[in-house]
Amino acid sequence: MFSALSRRRVVALVVLTCLLFITLDRNGNPVIDRVRGVLATVLQPVDTATRAITLPLERVWYGISNYDDVERENQALRDQIEHQKGNDVEARSAILEYRLLLKVQQLASKFNYPTVPALVIGDSPGNFQNTVEINVGSTDGIQVGMPVTNGAGLVGRITRVYPTHSLVKLITDPGYSVPAQVLSSADDEGITGPLPEIPIGGATSSSTSSTTTTTTTVPVTSTTQPGDTAGPTTSTPPATTTTALEVVRETGLLEGQGGNKPMLLRFVDSSSSLANVKVGSIVDTAGGTKGLAPQGIPIGVITRIVSQSGDSADLVEVTPNASLRQLNFVAVVLYVSGTVGP
Amino acid sequence: MRGFVLAPLIRLLPVGLVALSLQRVIFANHPMHDVQIQLVLALVVAAGAGGGLDRGAIAGFVLGMLSDASGDTPLGVLALAYGLGGLTAGYLHRFTTDPQWWLAALFATMGAAVGETAIPVVKTLTGDSGWITTDLLVTVPIVAVTAGLMCPLLMPVGRWMMGVKRKKWKAMTE
Repeated sequence: MFSALSRRRVVALVVLTCLLFITLDRNGNPVIDRVRGVLATVLQPVDTATRAITLPLERVWYGISNYDDVERENQALRDQIEHQKGNDVEARSAILEYRLLLKVQQLASKFNYPTVPALVIGDSPGNFQNTVEINVGSTDGIQVGMPVTNGAGLVGRITRVYPTHSLVKLITDPGYSVPAQVLSSADDEGITGPLPEIPIGGATSSSTSSTTTTTTTVPVTSTTQPGDTAGPTTSTPPATTTTALEVVRETGLLEGQGGNKPMLLRFVDSSSSLANVKVGSIVDTAGGTKGLAPQGIPIGVITRIVSQSGDSADLVEVTPNASLRQLNFVAVVLYVSGTVGP
Repeated sequence: MRGFVLAPLIRLLPVGLVALSLQRVIFANHPMHDVQIQLVLALVVAAGAGGGLDRGAIAGFVLGMLSDASGDTPLGVLALAYGLGGLTAGYLHRFTTDPQWWLAALFATMGAAVGETAIPVVKTLTGDSGWITTDLLVTVPIVAVTAGLMCPLLMPVGRWMMGVKRKKWKAMTE
């Protein structure tokens, strides 16, 4: 057996080695990256074998225990699809109008990057990391930092790339932050009516993000043709009326809070323009050369605005559009921070 | 000491790979109240409860390193946390050399609680803040209790993995 000294040595050695590895890995080490790559290669066939063995057992168990739930969920989803068919037609019409406007104004689309479709093959194994594993890697042109989306919106960004698979840090991870913007118009009353204000006594904001407010006035023009009205035709010119639609763009830093919690959009100053940010407003990526995603990827909607005492700015909670607990297919946007659009 | 550290690695690595794979494929996809049960940590504390604090620390270090290398955490974070968990569970051998199953399960529960709590603490100390929240009050008990329940099943595996033979008591002849 071992003496007390050798036991203490073992424990001290374990602790010191851990601290050494943490220090090396935090600063980036190519040897450690290679070790990770080798382990990923070794682990892949083991995972495949485990999946092949456990999947039939899992399906049998689900068949026995979850049949009623699946049937109920199926029915609910069918109802939801019927409901969304109407929204889909409306959205398609809006997209067509938007493209037409861009063409008329000779503007490039704000989001025009190629994407690589991917399948989610693994969830984060621990309780203190919000990551998923996808089945595309460096051989597909994936690089660290690229944003990942699904049909609903932004999902996360690539943090590690291996030849055939990659790890994606989800937007709800506390280590994730992205510049985001809230687009709201002055006549937008929000979806859920008045803002619920929940004061937090003594809470302070330690954020260093900056706030930018841009107000754009878009002229909305409606033209009345003389021939539209019934009655005798006259030679009067078309009557044009112009009304101003004020669109306010608020920019801040969106941060994850871990788990299933909504994200936080932090502003530094509570300026008067923040009154235009409402519950139900849509939040998307702000872009910019330092941004981790191009401008215009939808992220989510504002679900709560928390006012704070003192000089601290309001905290805006944003619920992601994408259902991050049930990801199946995603798309990696081939965008690297600091590049200009294709 | 070299043999003590290197000999179990031959068994630790393959068992660790299988446990890690089960964690990634099964336990990661079936959370309980949004908490993922930690099979690898349960194996570490079972090895600690079955083999003592030094063996628990080594099992925690090696399996934690494997978990770190396969995930997104900096190498050493889970190794340190699991090492502390294995060490705590291994304290059982300071009180008795041949513990009853329920005593081993109790120490495994305590070890798992320490190991799971240590993860956000170590992450915060290394600059990855935001994980120490009230959610820990749910996460830690679930992980710890499930590790304690799995301990009687995993302890023979942990003992074999660390090369520990269970003591056999013999009656003294007059």
